[in-house]
Amino acid sequence: MDDLFDSSLNLEETHFKEGYDEGYKDGLIAGKDEAKEVGLKVGFEVGEELGFYSGCLHIWTSAIRLDPNCFSSRAKTTINQMQDLVHKYPLMDPEDLQVQAIMDSLRLKFKMLCSSLHVKLDYSGYPNSSEATSIQF
Amino acid sequence: MEGGRIAEEIYAESLQLSKLELTSTGAAEQENKLNDCDDSDFGLDGSVWDDSDDKLERSSDLNREWQRRHDQFHTIGYRDGLIAGKEASAQEGFNIGFKQSVHAGFNWGVVRGVASAFAYLPDKLKERLVETLERRDEFQQLHESVHSLSTTDALRLFHEDFKAQEASGQSEHVEDSCGIAGLQEQASHVSHLTNYSGKLESLIHDSPSIDSHLPEPK
Repeated sequence: MDDLFDSSLNLEETHFKEGYDEGYKDGLIAGKDEAKEVGLKVGFEVGEELGFYSGCLHIWTSAIRLDPNCFSSRAKTTINQMQDLVHKYPLMDPEDLQVQAIMDSLRLKFKMLCSSLHVKLDYSGYPNSSEATSIQF
Repeated sequence: MEGGRIAEEIYAESLQLSKLELTSTGAAEQENKLNDCDDSDFGLDGSVWDDSDDKLERSSDLNREWQRRHDQFHTIGYRDGLIAGKEASAQEGFNIGFKQSVHAGFNWGVVRGVASAFAYLPDKLKERLVETLERRDEFQQLHESVHSLSTTDALRLFHEDFKAQEASGQSEHVEDSCGIAGLQEQASHVSHLTNYSGKLESLIHDSPSIDSHLPEPK
């Protein structure tokens, strides 16, 4: 009877292990696919926001080159700071730890700039994307 | 029966999650159905076998019990394994998707940024940056059409482009019902977003006062 009991325990373990391995294999595929969809969405949103700042800076620096006094010196400093931030943003490395801090700093400076330039630059989606970017695994 | 129920739940879930599992799930469900049949026929079976051979009935009973236990543990294992597997591959999948979309998002964002920032410049600066009225109007039009698209709209356009690209690149990825039928329709959508980029590039090209090197991500 001892033997039977032993073998039954072993079998249960084997069956569990069999199922586990099968599930793990399926889980790897399913999990990767699901997370990829999330990544596609978040990546686009992060890219859009950063590109948006880049595009704005592109126009502003062009304007400054044409007329160095078109903006206040404070605004110009902020523009330079933002350019540095955009430049050092590790766009291809979502796992980089400084990503969130850089984005937060960019948002803040952008808001300051907009109010000092007296423009209201926003679009449907940009404030929401702040939530999306904070989703990290 | 309990095991069967759990199995159905799990397999149904995994069926939704991944079509790749279709074959293995089908097999597993068949197995479950077989067990169900066995269970429901038990009374009838038993009464027949009762008369003829008690031993045989017991051994088949035992086999059924083995089978049921096997399924039960297999199912519990499968569920645990599925969760663990998903967790293990989530970050990798996220990174793959992120890298595939971040550039498209960036380029689209640049169009939005350039058009928006230009639209809000003082008129005097606008005139100096873009000399002809005609071009300034085109900038304004670009801004209006870009501004009317929300991030969600843009994301949808990107997704359509992306899926179409994927489908044409790898035939095995033609998965959804809209796969083949939608392909031609999608082809007309392709590069909706890049159209805007193209328009912006040509506008900037015609405006020497604006730095013609559009920002590019690293």
